[in-house]
Amino acid sequence: MIRVSNLTKRYVGRTAVDAISFNVEPGEIVGFLGPNGAGKTTTIRILTGYMPATSGSAVVAGHDIFRNSLQAQQRIGYMPENVPLYDDMRVKEYLRFRALLKGMRGREAKNGIAEAIDLCGLSEMRSKMIGALSKGYRQRVGLADALIHNPELLILDEPTNGLDPNQIRRVRKLIKQLGLSHTILVSTHILSEVEMTCDRVIILDRGKIRAADTPENLISQLRTVGHISVEVNAPADIAGDAMRKISRVKKVIKEATEGTWTKFTVRAESGTDVRESIVQLANANHWPLREIHTHGASLEDVFVELTQSPHTD
Amino acid sequence: MAFTITVSVLLGIMILCLWRFFSGGTGLVLLSKELRSFFFSPIAWVVLTLVMLLNGLSFTAALADLREGERSITLTAYTFNSIQFWLAYFFIFPVITMRLFAEEQKLGTIETLLTAPVTTIQLLLAKYLAALTFYIILWLPSLLNFIIFQMNSTDDYSSIGSLTGSYTIIFLVGMFNIAIGCLASALTKNQLVAAMICFTFCLLHFLLGFILQNLSVPDAFRETVAHFSTQIHVRAFIDGLIDTRQIIYYLSFSILLLSITYHVLEFRKWKI
Repeated sequence: MIRVSNLTKRYVGRTAVDAISFNVEPGEIVGFLGPNGAGKTTTIRILTGYMPATSGSAVVAGHDIFRNSLQAQQRIGYMPENVPLYDDMRVKEYLRFRALLKGMRGREAKNGIAEAIDLCGLSEMRSKMIGALSKGYRQRVGLADALIHNPELLILDEPTNGLDPNQIRRVRKLIKQLGLSHTILVSTHILSEVEMTCDRVIILDRGKIRAADTPENLISQLRTVGHISVEVNAPADIAGDAMRKISRVKKVIKEATEGTWTKFTVRAESGTDVRESIVQLANANHWPLREIHTHGASLEDVFVELTQSPHTD
Repeated sequence: MAFTITVSVLLGIMILCLWRFFSGGTGLVLLSKELRSFFFSPIAWVVLTLVMLLNGLSFTAALADLREGERSITLTAYTFNSIQFWLAYFFIFPVITMRLFAEEQKLGTIETLLTAPVTTIQLLLAKYLAALTFYIILWLPSLLNFIIFQMNSTDDYSSIGSLTGSYTIIFLVGMFNIAIGCLASALTKNQLVAAMICFTFCLLHFLLGFILQNLSVPDAFRETVAHFSTQIHVRAFIDGLIDTRQIIYYLSFSILLLSITYHVLEFRKWKI
């Protein structure tokens, strides 16, 4: 559905997107994840034909977005960040305008509008002025606009931005539902959203793709990035040094001391489990051990691990 | 020969643009949305009322003066060379063009428009033609003044040439100044800035010609610059002289300004 190869976008003095390549297959829900300023919106704007890339190519729904942008745009439903709408139009008027703009006429337009209104739960709001709608309903109008012409591909830029938890839940449910019949590329910096809705994740940071896989694979690859908590009754310095000497241990941090008990956080190399070595070390030194457990890695850990710059904490 | 070639080229460009605009019906959808925006905004009705009022005032003033005695000026010339006419002239263009692109850019709706299957040229022409249509509607009531006067007049009021000339030049300066307004609106997100740019250009264009009268510049330069003066053009046309040079001047400059606007929009599309 989307074939991107070596896509680069340079602005004066900085590279927003740096030679990225990825594919999105039909029927997939792909999460486009990255911190603010990672290049997500720039990539999306290139894919929707709003602006061209400096170099590289992008084929959307079988059409080169640079050469046949109109044909490609006909097959894309796009909801930009912050959902820009005309406040002086009524919901149904706006949707009718958008349907006509997308080449729908007569009965086709009428049915498309009715379906989009129904799917996005806008029936009660259809005659309201857009300017009088809450943020949640505005988001739904934007979504209805994106799917009015039943496009093969939906591109949603930060669809839950600024919504309350209930509204977020509803939008997520809607995305899941739409995923049954559409290919969806959804950009976000909210991790739980991706974990819950997406089949695959593309993590973008400073214009480069850092990882692209299913959320489960990403988490399992980095399972031991999740740290181990150890609470041991031993002199803090000696125990800390001893644990540091265990092979594959990357970092030992002293967290707290409670009487003679000391709590440590141990980080090991990716793909290893050092709990057994820690227990053996404690036994050998006759140090009583009252706690040892791993904190399972989450997508958040993966995200932080991949996108944290050396300068950020 | 040169005249025929110029007119053919200009007409060719206009027909090509309009053909591209109307093909597929997208242009018409955009045009009707733009017209709707005009008539659903209170500003449009305020402008319409004000222009009608100013036209009514200048027409009444002209009639009152002509009743005093014989004058060497026609009723049409009197009406369209009045302070009221020029007052309307200066505020119309900034007010009707300032929101065209500036508002879309501020709201971000330009992104939803240009990511739908819409070309920049369709969007530009829709906005331009909508503003031009509204401008024509603004001047229609003033025509009623002359028609009603003619119907109630016992004399054969036959300065039809002057009337045709007046409305021709009103249409031509409208085409030109709305193109300036489109360009100004495409240059900024701020409607007020767009209005100020448009007003400044309209004023400069008006002042060209007689601004140089008191300056010591060579005559040739003064005469050349005078060719660009709106006021001189309007005076000639309301006397009934339909000068093809001015028709070509306004048509070609409108096309030039619209093509610059097109490139400004494309440039923004590339840059953002």
